Amino acid sequence: MSEHHVVVDNLVKTYPGAATPSVDHVSFALPKGEMLALLGPSGCGKTTILRMIAGLIEPTSGAIQLNGREISQTPVHKRNMGMVFQAYALFPHMTVAGNVAFGLEMRGIPHSERGPKVQRALDMVKLGHLGDRRVTQLSGGQQQRCAIARSLVIEPELLLLDEPLSNLDAKLRDEMRDEIREIQSRTGVTAIFVTHDQDEALSMADRLAVMSAGKIEQIGTPREIFDAPANEFVAGFIGAGNFLSGRVTAPGEAEIEGLGPLRFEAPARIGSQVNLMVRPHRFKLAAPGPNAFTGQVDSLVYRGQILTLGISVGGKRLTADLHTHAGHLPAKGETVTLAVAPGDVTFLSEAAA
Amino acid sequence: MSATGAPAQQITGSNRFMLLILLVPGLLALMTTFLLPMIWLARASFSTSSMAAFGGGMTLEHYHAALTDPFYWKVAMNTLSLGVTVSFFAVILSYPIALFLTRSTSRWRGVLTALAVAPLLTSAVVRTYGWMVILGDRGVINGTLQALSLTTDPVRLSNNTFGATVALVEILMPYSILAMLAGFGRLNPQLEEAASMLGASKLRVFWRIILPLSLPGILTGALLVFVLAISAFVTPRLMGGGRVFVLGTEVFQEATVTLNWPLAAALSVVLLALFSSVIVIYQRALRRLEA
Repeated sequence: MSEHHVVVDNLVKTYPGAATPSVDHVSFALPKGEMLALLGPSGCGKTTILRMIAGLIEPTSGAIQLNGREISQTPVHKRNMGMVFQAYALFPHMTVAGNVAFGLEMRGIPHSERGPKVQRALDMVKLGHLGDRRVTQLSGGQQQRCAIARSLVIEPELLLLDEPLSNLDAKLRDEMRDEIREIQSRTGVTAIFVTHDQDEALSMADRLAVMSAGKIEQIGTPREIFDAPANEFVAGFIGAGNFLSGRVTAPGEAEIEGLGPLRFEAPARIGSQVNLMVRPHRFKLAAPGPNAFTGQVDSLVYRGQILTLGISVGGKRLTADLHTHAGHLPAKGETVTLAVAPGDVTFLSEAAA
Repeated sequence: MSATGAPAQQITGSNRFMLLILLVPGLLALMTTFLLPMIWLARASFSTSSMAAFGGGMTLEHYHAALTDPFYWKVAMNTLSLGVTVSFFAVILSYPIALFLTRSTSRWRGVLTALAVAPLLTSAVVRTYGWMVILGDRGVINGTLQALSLTTDPVRLSNNTFGATVALVEILMPYSILAMLAGFGRLNPQLEEAASMLGASKLRVFWRIILPLSLPGILTGALLVFVLAISAFVTPRLMGGGRVFVLGTEVFQEATVTLNWPLAAALSVVLLALFSSVIVIYQRALRRLEA
């Protein structure tokens, strides 16, 4: 365990009076310098985990280690973590520089050394010229930057971010997403952030933990999560998918109700019931053949690089994302055939029939 | 327009007329119940006739009397010092209560808030009599002390400035609690969390975050109590037993006993001037706090 910078072990939080725990035996570990996203729908316990690590909520049971030290009994103000709050929580009665200097002041760093550190932190988030402003005079994006500078200037052992982008408009969000990622890798600070936005999680994190109902459903790199989801919940929460279930009739082949046979690459016992998924972008236009389904296009959404079309086959709807540079583009009402390679079919679960 | 975020509404000519029509009843009520009496009071303070405001000549003699007579200077000082003492103690005692009510997440918070301001449901006169029962020479406290043979002579707790101060503090506390609750808008538990994450202990969170952010509320509470205390008449009169001289009691004395209305009016104007200067100072301070 000692090679890990942050270790969360069997963490449980049950609120008084609640029947089920909000956080249910959650364990994970982060190496130094990694950025982990806690991703899940609202109420899944992701924020509770973050706040327990921060020390703002007391865990019911479990252990939290930072740098090999057990910290679950350490008071908040001695944990040396930086936190960026969803609403930024900047001190309204202080200037931008005053906010950033606050943590240094609490650490007893003399006035003469604070100035240059504050200036460096503000320069890093491109607010170097606004130190004298009141925080109430800053725009949303600038407040966000100020909050980041304030949490990093204390050189925290761990940076926590609670839905850091949710209060920004779409354009600013993309900008800040890249910037937070850039600052994190430049400073090498280990970071955990909470989000309900899959794009945010996929694009910012080294690894993500997908959560549901207080438990981690899967933890892995963005690619692992997207291409090899551990179960239906993860597959459905991250990205779109065509969910198909059927009975295994031959090795690597299942009979999907209404569609016909579908080949896939995973060991499954003959006679068992399997749940499979095909991501929309895995479908290609093809001639009728094995692993291909023919139907009439009944919906069409043109999105620039991608054309999303829906066809109905035997009472089932299939959705496909086609690249718009792929030659002929089908029109509404046209009959098309969508094919998927067996290796591109995601195997989710198997149950004995 | 953009400052409030509301869409700007074009005020056209007919709209403006409607607006004025709608304002008339309120303005009329203010005129008759506030502005006219004030004018009457101001005029009365210059009057040469002892009972009438208008008619008769104009004179500055009442102001001369009010401002040169060392007795009235002493009364003014008494009033100021009572106001300062009462607002100091009312604020000290109300602050923890208001802070608790603001920060509490208990479901009893609404009930507790109602309880804190419930004394407003009874009149100040009734509560003053309550304090006379407690602090009087044969009151609860002196009775207990004597029954325990701790004293033979009653301890002077009423019929003096001490009694008036105690009663005024208690009577005015609900006002300062209400004013503080209204003025604590900038307090936010997340700011406290942010401060502790940055390394501030509980004590430092209080000094650096909670106290500065609640200062506008404290100032509003103090101002309200101060204004109510220096204009108080019933409580200083009853609790002071005729031995506490403040502007309120003196105005009453001049108006109803001596029947010198112009002097009473002049003293009232002095009191008003006192209010106004305090409010101006307060607003200056508040603006600096929030700038």
